[in-house]
Amino acid sequence: MVTRTIAEINDKIQRQQVVVWTVEELKSKVAELGVAAVAQQVDVITTGTFEPMESSGAILNLGHTDPPIKIRQCWLDGVPAYSGFGAVDLYLGATQVTDYASSIGEGNDSEEFRERGGGHVIEDLVAGKAVHLRALGQVTDCYSRASFETTITRDTINQFYLFNPRNLYQNFIVGVNGGDRPLYTYLGPLQPHLGNAVYSNPGALSPLMNDPDLHLIGIGTRILLGGGIGYVAWEGTQHFPLQKRLPNRTPIGPAATLALIGDAKQMQSRWVRGCYFKSYGPSLMLGVGVPLPVLNEEVVVRCAVQDKDLVAPIVDFSIPRRVRPTFGLVSYAQLKSGRVTIDGKSVRTAPLASLYLSRQVALDLKQRIEAGEFTLTEPVAAIPNDRAFLAQDRRGPQVLLED
Amino acid sequence: MKKRVTLIFPRRSVHMPVTYRLAKDFNVAANIIRAQVTPNQVGTLVVELSGDIDQLDAALEWMRSQDISVSLASREIVIDEMTCVHCGLCTGVCPTEALSLDPQTFQLNFTRSRCVVCEQCIPTCPVQAISTNL
Repeated sequence: MVTRTIAEINDKIQRQQVVVWTVEELKSKVAELGVAAVAQQVDVITTGTFEPMESSGAILNLGHTDPPIKIRQCWLDGVPAYSGFGAVDLYLGATQVTDYASSIGEGNDSEEFRERGGGHVIEDLVAGKAVHLRALGQVTDCYSRASFETTITRDTINQFYLFNPRNLYQNFIVGVNGGDRPLYTYLGPLQPHLGNAVYSNPGALSPLMNDPDLHLIGIGTRILLGGGIGYVAWEGTQHFPLQKRLPNRTPIGPAATLALIGDAKQMQSRWVRGCYFKSYGPSLMLGVGVPLPVLNEEVVVRCAVQDKDLVAPIVDFSIPRRVRPTFGLVSYAQLKSGRVTIDGKSVRTAPLASLYLSRQVALDLKQRIEAGEFTLTEPVAAIPNDRAFLAQDRRGPQVLLED
Repeated sequence: MKKRVTLIFPRRSVHMPVTYRLAKDFNVAANIIRAQVTPNQVGTLVVELSGDIDQLDAALEWMRSQDISVSLASREIVIDEMTCVHCGLCTGVCPTEALSLDPQTFQLNFTRSRCVVCEQCIPTCPVQAISTNL
């Protein structure tokens, strides 16, 4: 029985003697050689995904002006950024839409402009482009300036890092439309009468599908975020580890999530892409790579999981409720084949995660580890495994009945 | 019957009232789908012509005799490969499967000959990598 420690693996990385396989290489090797032989050989398995992750955003610190300003409202290329904290700290959310009212007179009312949002501004900053900034301040004895306008790039501001409250969904749903009018959703357009089905998780490539109980990934795990170094910061919002699971421990629907953090100044715009879903809004596509250390054979067993062993629920978006009806579960092997059968009807499937770029992320991470540029970290704390998934229902004032 | 054609006008023919002549001389209705016409420049017109089959053919023949290039292929879908992220979302809305993902590499394939230019892929693309060439 093989066992390794992260310190031993890092030692091998530094001596450039480490054996790193992408998760797909691992799956085919296991099929060929079996778990025990593979566990002997490989030290690190790399996983990656490239998909829209709308619960993302950037923290920016501008640096102080003279005279200084306490920013209370701010727009970056016309997209509002949150400023309700430190004087020149900003948070730019990926799905924030352009504020048309504030942009009137700038001649920006084209379709292209309307489709831009926070994700696109983040991509531009990562690409080193200049972004227009307009800010209004609250005049106080500390901060005497009332307004400020300038152009920033990532090199002219202090901090610029992504801090994403919910990324790396462990599994997701498959969207379809059983109604009679087209729907425009966060999964893209869904055509009526089960015209198409969209899935958004890369299945067997997905980082969290290969460490289903988060035994390897925890707070402090070093990752590749947007092509730069990042870390797992916390459990993600809507983290739901108690989702029903198959005997292989993978969840049958949306489950664990992670909050990620990473220095956007190091990122590459190839892996940080603003995007727009028609009649839904802007978002951000992100490449995220996660290394999985082969500490024991169990790691290999979990990473050997195939698309045929992973399922997602088919959800009908034509019912606009929190709990929508489903058409049952479908395997990722079926989804990736391009067609699934729903209610006896053959329906074309399309991914929303880029399987091609997901593979490239895993490959990029593999090369960095092999080159000795990327070492692994011990998690400093585990991600909770018992979070409830609460819904928000209207609660009236509590009526106290008297005896 | 109906025919969708792309007409390319040499500079000296741009002034000619072609749709009027089609209607008056051939009883052909020209529904302009797209147009790019500027004085003294080569002009492009995509039209759906409807009328009697013989008169349609005569009309096409007449336009060719006026040095207007008549192409039965109309505008085409263009994919910007630098922008495309190969997510594949467009493949689900493409009715003819002209857009598909390679089953091995999962890169986007575009089979031009299957495309009917319905343009449903254009607003579907989340990174605006798809457009038409007009």
